[in-house]
Amino acid sequence: MHERPRHSRWAGAAQYSGALALFVALGFVNVKAQQPDFTGVWTNYVEPGQGRAGGAATAGGGRGGAAELPMTAEGRQKVQAYQALIKGTGDTPGGFCLGTGMPGSMLGSGGYPMEIIQRPNQITIVYEAHNEVRRVYLGDRIVPEGDRLPGRNGHSTGRWEGDTLVVETTNLVEQADQRFAHSDKARIVERYRMTRGAKGERVLVAEMTLTDPVFYTKPVTAEKRWAEVPNGHLLPYECNEEAWNIHLEKLAEKRK
Amino acid sequence: MKKTGLVALTATLIALWAGAVAAHHSAQQFDFGRSVPISGVVKRFQSINPHMRLVITVTDAKGTRDISFEGHSTNNMYRAGYRDGMIKVGDKITVYVAPLRDGSDGGYVTAASTADGRRFGPQSRAEQEAERAKAEGK
Repeated sequence: MHERPRHSRWAGAAQYSGALALFVALGFVNVKAQQPDFTGVWTNYVEPGQGRAGGAATAGGGRGGAAELPMTAEGRQKVQAYQALIKGTGDTPGGFCLGTGMPGSMLGSGGYPMEIIQRPNQITIVYEAHNEVRRVYLGDRIVPEGDRLPGRNGHSTGRWEGDTLVVETTNLVEQADQRFAHSDKARIVERYRMTRGAKGERVLVAEMTLTDPVFYTKPVTAEKRWAEVPNGHLLPYECNEEAWNIHLEKLAEKRK
Repeated sequence: MKKTGLVALTATLIALWAGAVAAHHSAQQFDFGRSVPISGVVKRFQSINPHMRLVITVTDAKGTRDISFEGHSTNNMYRAGYRDGMIKVGDKITVYVAPLRDGSDGGYVTAASTADGRRFGPQSRAEQEAERAKAEGK
C-alpha cells in the first residue's frame, strides 16, 4: 500500500488554507454571513390579535411598579424617596425634555420609533423621543474603561455570538426616575437577534438582563420586540423650544 | 397706554407659558376614557414637544373665555396627520379632548378638525361607532 507522505498532507492543508484565504479575500466566502444587518427603522411589534406591543415582560419582577422588582432595601428606599418627591405632580424626566436612559430608553422605544445604523465597528441606535443616541462600539472602537464618561445611557460595547449581537452597557449613572431604577454599578446585557413575525416580516428581538448588586437581589430580565418600518424615517424631536421662548420673553421684559 | 397694554399682554403670555412649563405632568389628571369636542377660535398655538400647547377662545353657556389645552407631542401629531400650517391664530377649530377629571376648563387634545375640514388624530370610540353605524346604514 502506498502511504501518502506526511509532508504532502501538510502541503495539501496549506494549499487548502491558501485557497480559502483567497476565496475570502475575493469575497466568495462571507465570514460575516451569519451576522444580520439590523440597519433600519423599528417600531413596536404587536402580536396578531393582541392590542399591546410585544415586549418588556419581565422575569424577576413583572410589568408592575418597582415594588414588584427584586429590590434591595437600599434600592427600594431610593425609589420610594423619589416617588414621594414627585407624588401628586406627575412629573417625569420626559416632561422636562430629559431622556429616559437605559434600560428604559430601549424598552420604551417603538411608540416613538428607533433607528439602527450598523457598521462593522459601531452600531448607532437612535431613539426618536428626546433624541437619545446610543453608540455600541465593537472591536478596536471600544473606548478604554478609564476614558468613558458615565451617563443615563452609559457606555455600550458589542460583540457577535453567531447571529446574536451581545451588547454590554456599563458606566451608567444612578437613576431612581425610571421603572428599572438602578445604581451606577448596574450592568445591562442585551442580546439582539432577528426573527420573523406572523406575516414573515422582520422582527428584532432584544433580551435584556440588568444586574445591579446595589439595587437588586437578583438579575432582572425583560424582552422587547420591534417590527421593521419599511423605508421609515425618524422625525426630529426638538423639546426645549418652550423653555427657550420663555427665557427670551423674560429677557425682553427686562430690556424694557 | 399702548405700551402698558403690550406689557400686560407680554406678562400674560409669560404667565401662560410659565404655567405650561410648570404643568409638566403625567396623564393621570385627564380622563382618557372620554372624548369631548370643544370649538373655538385659536388664540395661541405651539406645535412643540413634549406636548403641544393651544389656547382657544370659547363661547358657551358659561360665557366667553380663553381655555388652555395641552396635547400630543408634535411628533405624535405629525404621525396622526397633522401638517405644518394646519392650525393658525384666528382659525375656527374643534378639538377633541380628554377632559380634566376635576371638571375644570381644559384637557388633553387628542385630535382636532379645522374649519376647512382637515383633521388629525385618531377617532374617538364614539366617532368610530357613529361611523360604523353610518356605514351599516343605521
